[in-house]
Amino acid sequence: MKEKIKYIALFLLVVVVAYNSVYFKKLDEVKAGNTSFNAAKYAKEFWAKKLTPALGKAIETGQLLSVLKTDKDKAFKDYSHALGIGNIKYFLVKGRGIVQSVDENQVVVNVESDFEKPEVFIATEYVFGNAVRDASGTIDINEFANSMDFNNVSAEINKVIREQVIPPFRSKVKKGDIVEFSGAVELNKEHLSVNAMEIVPVSLKIIDNTLITN
Amino acid sequence: MAIVVSTLNNPWFVFLAEKAQAKAKELGYESKVFDSQNNTSLETDHFENAMASGYDAILFNPTDADGSIVNVKNATAAGVPVFCMDREVNSSTAATSQILSDSYSGCVAIAKYFVETLNKKGKYVEILGMVGDNNTWNRSKGFHSVVDYYPGLKMVAQQSADFDRNKAMEVLESILQAHPDIDAVFCGNDAMAMGAYQALVAAGKADKIKVFGFDGAEDVVKSIQDGKIMATGMQFPEVMAQTAATFADEYFKGKRDFPQRMPVAVELVKKDNIENYAAYGKKE
Repeated sequence: MKEKIKYIALFLLVVVVAYNSVYFKKLDEVKAGNTSFNAAKYAKEFWAKKLTPALGKAIETGQLLSVLKTDKDKAFKDYSHALGIGNIKYFLVKGRGIVQSVDENQVVVNVESDFEKPEVFIATEYVFGNAVRDASGTIDINEFANSMDFNNVSAEINKVIREQVIPPFRSKVKKGDIVEFSGAVELNKEHLSVNAMEIVPVSLKIIDNTLITN
Repeated sequence: MAIVVSTLNNPWFVFLAEKAQAKAKELGYESKVFDSQNNTSLETDHFENAMASGYDAILFNPTDADGSIVNVKNATAAGVPVFCMDREVNSSTAATSQILSDSYSGCVAIAKYFVETLNKKGKYVEILGMVGDNNTWNRSKGFHSVVDYYPGLKMVAQQSADFDRNKAMEVLESILQAHPDIDAVFCGNDAMAMGAYQALVAAGKADKIKVFGFDGAEDVVKSIQDGKIMATGMQFPEVMAQTAATFADEYFKGKRDFPQRMPVAVELVKKDNIENYAAYGKKE
């Protein structure tokens, strides 16, 4: 009898130890990033403390285009930011203009400016990537333990734009409205194309909707 | 300089190693390339050999983001600086500096094109690289950070093929048995994209199913020109290799304040801009 109790106790001990020793987790959960890092919290603080103050230094879109046309190197040197090496650079821009059309994936705006008067595309559908995170030049990749945490910050920033910046604008904006915007633009220095400048918005405001043409 | 590379069974890494060796020679240093054959134990042997043989720096392409940390730490503790190329280790203190492709951003760009090309709907397969490599997940996460916003795009299978062309072909052949009606395949590198394309040719579906890769390898650049592959993310291995060798040279000359991580931009390559690119980087 004693022998039996001993074996049962031993068996229970093995079960308890085994249960507490082995954990099953989905591989993509394990590899998804450092769970101790809260990207949403970081993105919220970044938005308030770094991005919003940096908007004061954003270059007016028409002026940027003018500098790009006259002195591309100066434009990239003075106004762009990037966290590493390569041709892809980001600009923080602002502007004002008249809405030409409200399309499925974007709002087309004719910029009013003392410089160039480009047609720009305010992204309302494809809000992805690192443009907004990197354009201000105020974030340091070396603060992060790994690149996944760093990339998650972009995803959270874009989520804020998608959920808070775009919907109130998208629901009201119409052709002919005068709008003010700020946001980030990605340009390739080596293969520069400014014909379809896409702005990922940080702030959007309808100033006047009395000019409705339809 | 010791150049320790994860595998020489993939032309992309051969190119990386060759360019690192060329830059080291240009800077006046002797170098030797070590092939880890995607095996962390072999990589450890290479590190021990490199240190015992008196190499002064290691230009390193790790096999595993976690498993390779100990090798890096042992080398730096022994006073041998380590400069990671293309693949990172999950530590901000182990390596002297890490020069890495911005895989996440590259795949965001590919994914936007993927969504546009498929018109926001369809069934697709994702073929992943090595599950222990951060690039695998950075690419996958970048891709899904876009594609997952579109409920009309359904991933019917996600499997690893270890960045290997033949494995990718076998994986897709098997998936096609269960899912013959897919619209696209996203692959974590170009070798797998070519393997996937081969499987589609064999199944007679190459003109119906769109394949997307990542790397900027020679055969994929040509395949984009020929309309066989839709797009890839162009990496710049020469830039990474040259930067790593230059950093090592600067280290020998006394510099110590290197950025822990130095991302290298990845550019979307598709049929309408293919004229700007050649294999592994821009056209001269």
